[in-house]
Amino acid sequence: MLALGLVARWVHLATSIFLVGGSVMIVMAGQSDRPTARRWEQRTLAATRALAVVALASGLVVLSLQTALFEGRVAAALDLAAIARVVVETQAGHVWLVRFGLLVLLAAFLLLRLSVDRRVDWRAARGEGVLLGAAALLPIAAAVEPGTARAIALDALHVVAAGVWVGGLVPLALLLRAAATSEGSDARPYAVLAARRFSRVALGAFAILAVTGALLATVHVGSVAGLVGTRYGRLLLAKLLFLALALLLAMVNRSVLLARLGGDGATVGRPAMRRLSGFVVAEACLALAILGVVAALGVTPPARHDAPVWPFAIRLSTTALEGASAAATRALIGSQIAVLGLAGLVAAATLRSRMLPLGALGLVALGAGAGLALPPLAIDAYPTTYLRPSVPYQAASVASGAALYRESCVACHGARGAGDGPAGLNLPRPPADLRAPHTAQHTAGDLYWWLTNGIPAAGMPGFGARLSEDQRWDLINFLRALSAGDAARGMGTAVEPDRRWLVAPDFAFAVGPTPPRSLKEYRGRVVLLVLYQLPESRPRMSQIAGREGTLAMLGVEVIAVPTDADRDAIRRLGDDPRVLFPVVTDGAEAIVATYRLFAAAPHAEFLIDRQGYVRTIARSRGQAAEMEPLLAQIQELNQERVPVEPPPEEHVH
Amino acid sequence: MQAWKAVVLFNLALVVGAGWGYAFWGVRAARLERELAAARATALSGVEREWTVEGVVRAIFPELNVLVITHGEINEFMPAMTMGFRVASPKIQEAVSVGDAVRFTVRGVPPNVAVIAIQKITR
Ligand code: HEC
Repeated sequence: MLALGLVARWVHLATSIFLVGGSVMIVMAGQSDRPTARRWEQRTLAATRALAVVALASGLVVLSLQTALFEGRVAAALDLAAIARVVVETQAGHVWLVRFGLLVLLAAFLLLRLSVDRRVDWRAARGEGVLLGAAALLPIAAAVEPGTARAIALDALHVVAAGVWVGGLVPLALLLRAAATSEGSDARPYAVLAARRFSRVALGAFAILAVTGALLATVHVGSVAGLVGTRYGRLLLAKLLFLALALLLAMVNRSVLLARLGGDGATVGRPAMRRLSGFVVAEACLALAILGVVAALGVTPPARHDAPVWPFAIRLSTTALEGASAAATRALIGSQIAVLGLAGLVAAATLRSRMLPLGALGLVALGAGAGLALPPLAIDAYPTTYLRPSVPYQAASVASGAALYRESCVACHGARGAGDGPAGLNLPRPPADLRAPHTAQHTAGDLYWWLTNGIPAAGMPGFGARLSEDQRWDLINFLRALSAGDAARGMGTAVEPDRRWLVAPDFAFAVGPTPPRSLKEYRGRVVLLVLYQLPESRPRMSQIAGREGTLAMLGVEVIAVPTDADRDAIRRLGDDPRVLFPVVTDGAEAIVATYRLFAAAPHAEFLIDRQGYVRTIARSRGQAAEMEPLLAQIQELNQERVPVEPPPEEHVH
Repeated sequence: MQAWKAVVLFNLALVVGAGWGYAFWGVRAARLERELAAARATALSGVEREWTVEGVVRAIFPELNVLVITHGEINEFMPAMTMGFRVASPKIQEAVSVGDAVRFTVRGVPPNVAVIAIQKITR
């Protein structure tokens, strides 16, 4: 079923692409009165007719298989009612309908017998073939995901350029072959001219393909890990390999073989023409292979939505250089040598003279530079290094991670994560200090690997068998909060302008029986998160409640969290003065467990900026204090220019 | 047939097809939008309505006959928020105190509504 679907997609794509290319090639070659050229034109036209029919048929197969996929049953492929439903009700169905309509129009046009003896008629008819073919290709782009206007435009350009380059190859080969025979000599100047024009146009199409392809790859793949670590990425690499080979062939064709066709067309050697036609056929085969890969890509989830498996034991990262000045110098020098080498290679490619020595020198410098620069950048990596956490960085997760930590890790890593637990004393290596900012050099995926498999040489056990996947991510979220909390010890009540680093972990809370809300819903407003304790905090809470009007005017949302997680907290606060801001009665435990990592005081106030970063922390025992400093901090945050950079990530990384 | 005539015909078909498709979808989308707006308007037009929602009593102003309640979404009227409601009779607010989780009923012609019944709930 899957194989059939793949083949159908491939055939459909290839025929659609060749359809455009055939029409473009005829237009490029131009009208001719030579019998061989006319015969070639008729044969190419006949081929496009056949291709249009095949494209229509394979389009039907694709639709029926798509229906089976949507409905989740094989029989649906032949169920007309189900197929009609897919066409009418799904976006893929709408796109298919438009495409199919255009293909029918194209086929009808191609099947018409038109007289094209006059020049206008010929131009109109052949141009219309190109127009309809390209129009039928365009809707393919409407199906890309994500469906932003930019991605759709890029994809549209990409397929049309592919049509021009790939689709023109076969007709060109046929023309060259026909012209290379002894009877076809009349068409030789025509063929040479066509080959030249095609070569020029194909170069432009290729440039468009490369640029749009690279941009699309950043949309769908996004990272090196996605490229080498997912099936989508590897398929893309295969496509690139074929593309590089095709480009090489095209370059040989253009610079060597095409040049040999120079001079008076009628006298050039047939062998050169035959060879060129053979090379063009080879290029077309590569193009077919590429289209096969593209068909496979169409049924593979994009790398962005897939979990990458890193295939190497190391990765390169500049974070390896932090605090290692000798290595940094070495990397710097090496990279400069490599850049020089690259410049040499570029010079060799553009300059006609001294190509070889320059190129060799550039290659050597590039290799030496890379050899010097790369080793210091290498960091150990594991298959899960680029795995994205499946549990977001939220208070509930941090809290369960903290509980798991107390159960399984305290013995070695110590209550505060300092690596001073009693069981760690007689291990091969002392347990790591988990408060250190290990997220700088290690990804969340690294931690995941260690938690799962342990570090046998050091005596760190693996927990893959004992803890579920989500529990391991909870632990990692806790470790992130732990080391963030260690760094947050230095944060006080002064706003540091434009320094955002302490992400406020999101949390869900409810006030009485109202539906739960989350901190994230308050993005765009300044939030004052108050962790309080009764009766000690009463003076301070009265003060805040008394200034609620001022706070509201400054656009601040206050969220109060009782540290004892009392579900009757609102009643206990009472009505003098009146407290109208949200007081959390559900979800307080997780919030307290998490935010206490940032401030262990009995009463703590966190000022969270409009982007979701904690900016100041006030620790106290809950006694009354001046309100003016707090209002000044809020004013400062309100006046700050909100940067356009995206808000903090949902996940540890 | 002369080719250029056929081409003109096909292009016409292309344009008409595209225009028809656009008109079809555009008209449909516009109609749906209108229907939605109409449905919203009738929901809020000057008829008396009644809702029952849950919330927490946050403050009581006996002299004003007003209860401040943190409540969940009131369907087609207002989102979840903390706000003051008039009460229909003073007895209603005497039955509750600050911090009570309540289920209450408001009735009226939006935005003129008042609490007509309230009842404590246990969670
Ligand atoms: C038997 C003792 C022991 C237990 C139990 C233990 N660890 Fe470890 N852990 C170690 C040792 C020893 C190391 C040091 C490894 C090294 O030096 O490379 C370590 C290293 C680590 C590291 C690597 C830190 C870094 O930055 O290099 C992490 C993360 C970690 N442990 C987390 C945990 C967690 C989470 C738990 C509980 C689920 C846990 N460990 C339980 C002994 C232990």
